Amino acid sequence: MSDIIIKTENLVKTYNTGKVRTYALRGISLEIARNSFSCIIGPSGHGKSTLMHLMGGLDGPTEGSVFIDGADISGLSNSELAGLRAKKIGFVFQFFNLLQNLTAKENVETAMMFSGVNEKTQKEKAKGLLSLLGLSEKLNAKPSELSGGQQQRVAIARALANDPEILLMDEPTGNLDSESEAEVLDNILKLNKDGKTIIIVTHNRDIAKMAAMVFEIRDGRLVDDGKTK
Amino acid sequence: MNIPKLVLKNITRRKARFFFTLLGITVGIASFVTLLSLGGGLKNEIKKQASELGANLIVTPKGWCAYEQVSVLTGEQLPEAIPFDDARKISAIKGLTAVPYLTERTAIKNSPLPVIGILPEEMKIFKRWEIEKGDYFSSQDENAIVIGSGIAQQFKLNVLDKLTIKGRQFPVRGILKGTGSKDDIAMFMSLSVAQKLYGVGDKVSFVAVKVDDISKMDEYILKIQEAANVAVVSDKQLLRSVLSIVGTVSLTLQLIAAVAILAAAFGIINTMMTAIYERRREIGILQAIGAREITIFKIFLLESGFYGLLGGVIGIVAGLIFSSIASPYISQNEFTAFMKGSEMAVTFDSKLIIGSLLFSVFVSLISGLYPAWKASRLSPVEAISYE
Ligand SMILES: Nc1ncnc2c1ncn2[C@@H]1O[C@H](COP(=O)(O)OP(=O)(O)O)[C@@H](O)[C@H]1O
Ligand SMILES: [Mg+2]
Repeated sequence: MSDIIIKTENLVKTYNTGKVRTYALRGISLEIARNSFSCIIGPSGHGKSTLMHLMGGLDGPTEGSVFIDGADISGLSNSELAGLRAKKIGFVFQFFNLLQNLTAKENVETAMMFSGVNEKTQKEKAKGLLSLLGLSEKLNAKPSELSGGQQQRVAIARALANDPEILLMDEPTGNLDSESEAEVLDNILKLNKDGKTIIIVTHNRDIAKMAAMVFEIRDGRLVDDGKTK
Repeated sequence: MNIPKLVLKNITRRKARFFFTLLGITVGIASFVTLLSLGGGLKNEIKKQASELGANLIVTPKGWCAYEQVSVLTGEQLPEAIPFDDARKISAIKGLTAVPYLTERTAIKNSPLPVIGILPEEMKIFKRWEIEKGDYFSSQDENAIVIGSGIAQQFKLNVLDKLTIKGRQFPVRGILKGTGSKDDIAMFMSLSVAQKLYGVGDKVSFVAVKVDDISKMDEYILKIQEAANVAVVSDKQLLRSVLSIVGTVSLTLQLIAAVAILAAAFGIINTMMTAIYERRREIGILQAIGAREITIFKIFLLESGFYGLLGGVIGIVAGLIFSSIASPYISQNEFTAFMKGSEMAVTFDSKLIIGSLLFSVFVSLISGLYPAWKASRLSPVEAISYE
C-alpha cells in the first residue's frame, strides 16, 4: 500500500446561486500521507469546509479529482460514495451534528447500522467507544443534556464507529471553551497515535503546531502546500 | 439501532402533527370500513329476507321496472295495483298456490309501519305462521288485527289492546310468533277490511305464488301472464334487482369514503414534506455517516407507511364499533326500514378487515413515495454546513 491515502488533483468547486457564481476552490492539489496528522488553516469562507467535503466524498468537484487509496472517487455512484463514507471515512463537524432525538449511544449505533453491523455488536461497540472517550456515564443522555465538549466526543465516537482509516474534522473545537477543547484535542491526538489518518480544519495555531503537515488556504488556493514544514 | 426503530423515534417527535395526520387516515379508513360493513350487513340481510319471502314468484302490476319490483321487499307503496279478479284467475291455475295481498301504511307513535291486507287462512298456511299469544282471525272480514312479534315488543302491545288505524279502532286479536322476517314488524288485517279502509276498491298490491314444481318455473310464468295482464318476477330475479340497487348505493358511499381517504393521503404527503424540510439537516447527517439514498428513501417511506398501518388499525376498530352502533338507526331509514324485523348483523368479516388494512398501508405508502424520493435526493453538504 502506498504512503499516500488521499490525493487531490487540481480540485475546482464552484457554487451557482442564482446568477452569481462563487469559486469556493480554484485548483487544489495536495497529498495526505497515511497515518498522518494534517491541518488545514485559513480565513473563514475561503474553502476549507468545501475541500473537506470533497475529500470525504460528501460532494463532487466541479473539476479535478480526488483519489482515495489510489482510486478516483469521482467515478463512484452516490450509493458507492455512501458506502465509502460509511466504512472508510469518519466526519466530525463544528456543530456536532448529532441526531437530537437519539441518545449518545443510539447516535453511535446508527452509524454502524449503515455499514451493516448487527445490533448486538452495535451496542457493545458503542458502549466501548463512548467509555473510551470518557462518556460511560452518559450513554443514554440526549445531546441536549450534554455539554458542547461531551457532544463533540459523542460525535467523535460516532465517527470512529466503523473503524475508518480517515477522520475528517471540520473545526471540531471551534464551538468549545478551552477546557473542552483540550479534552477533545487530547482524544484526537490519541487516535492519531493509534494509526488513524487525521485531517483537521482549525483556526487554532496550537493545534496547527502539532500537525505534521499544514495546508493554508486563501481564496480557494493553497498558500502553503504542507511540504514546507 | 435498526431502521424501524429509527422510524418510530422520528415519527412521534411532533406529537400534534402526528396526531392530526393519523386522525386523517383513521377517519378515512373508519368511514370506509363503516360503509363497507354496513353494506355487507345489508346484503346478507336482504338475502335472508328474500329467502323468507316464502314465494317462488311474485306477481306485480304490468310494466314494473326492477326498482318498482323491489317494493315487494321494502313494502313501499306504489299507486298501481292488480284487480282482485286477476288474482283469482291466477289462483285458478293448477300446480301453484297464489295468495294476494295489499300493502298499506300506518304509523304508531310516528313510526311508519306496514299494514298488510291478507286472506287470513290462505296466508297463514302459505307463510306457516304460528300464534304466540291470543287468537288468529276467526272470519274473512273480521274487524281486528294480528301483529308481528317485533311490533308487540317495540310498542309493548298485548292482545285486546286497541290500535287506531286511519281513524278506526282495531283490537289486537293475536300476536304472531317471531319469524325473523319483515312479518315481525307488520300488522295484518283481512284483505276486504283493508281494501275498504284504504279505499282501493278490489285492488291488491301483489300476488305471492308458490309453485309445486320448481323446474317448471318458466312454464308457470307464461301461464300466469296468459291468465292475467300482469308482470311476474321470480324471487331470484327480485333478489338480484335489490342487490344491484343496494350495490349502487353502497358503491356511492364507498366513493365518498374513498374521497375521505384521498384527503387523508394528501395530509400524509403534506406532513411528510414538512417533516423532510424540517429534518433536512438530519438527512444530511445520515448521509454523511454513510446512509445510502435508498436507505433514506426507505426510512421516509416506512414513516409514512406507519401512518397507514396505525391509522388503519385504529380506523378499522373504530369503523366496526361505529357500524354496530349505527346499524339499528340505519335500518329506520325508508329504504332499509324493512330490515328492522330482525337485528341486522354487522359483518365482521376478516376479508374486510385485512383488505382495509392493506388498503390503508398501500395508500400511505403511495403518499410517501414522492416525499421519500425528495428526501433521498437532498444534498448533504448544504444541510450540515450551517447551524
Ligand atoms: N452550498 C453552498 N452554496 C453556495 N455557496 C457556498 C456553499 N457552500 C460554500 N459556499 C461558498 O463557498 C465559499 C467557501 O466556503 P467554505 O468552504 O464553507 O469556507 P470555510 O469553511 O473556509 O469557511 C464561501 O464563499 C461560501 O459562501
Ligand atoms: Mg467551514
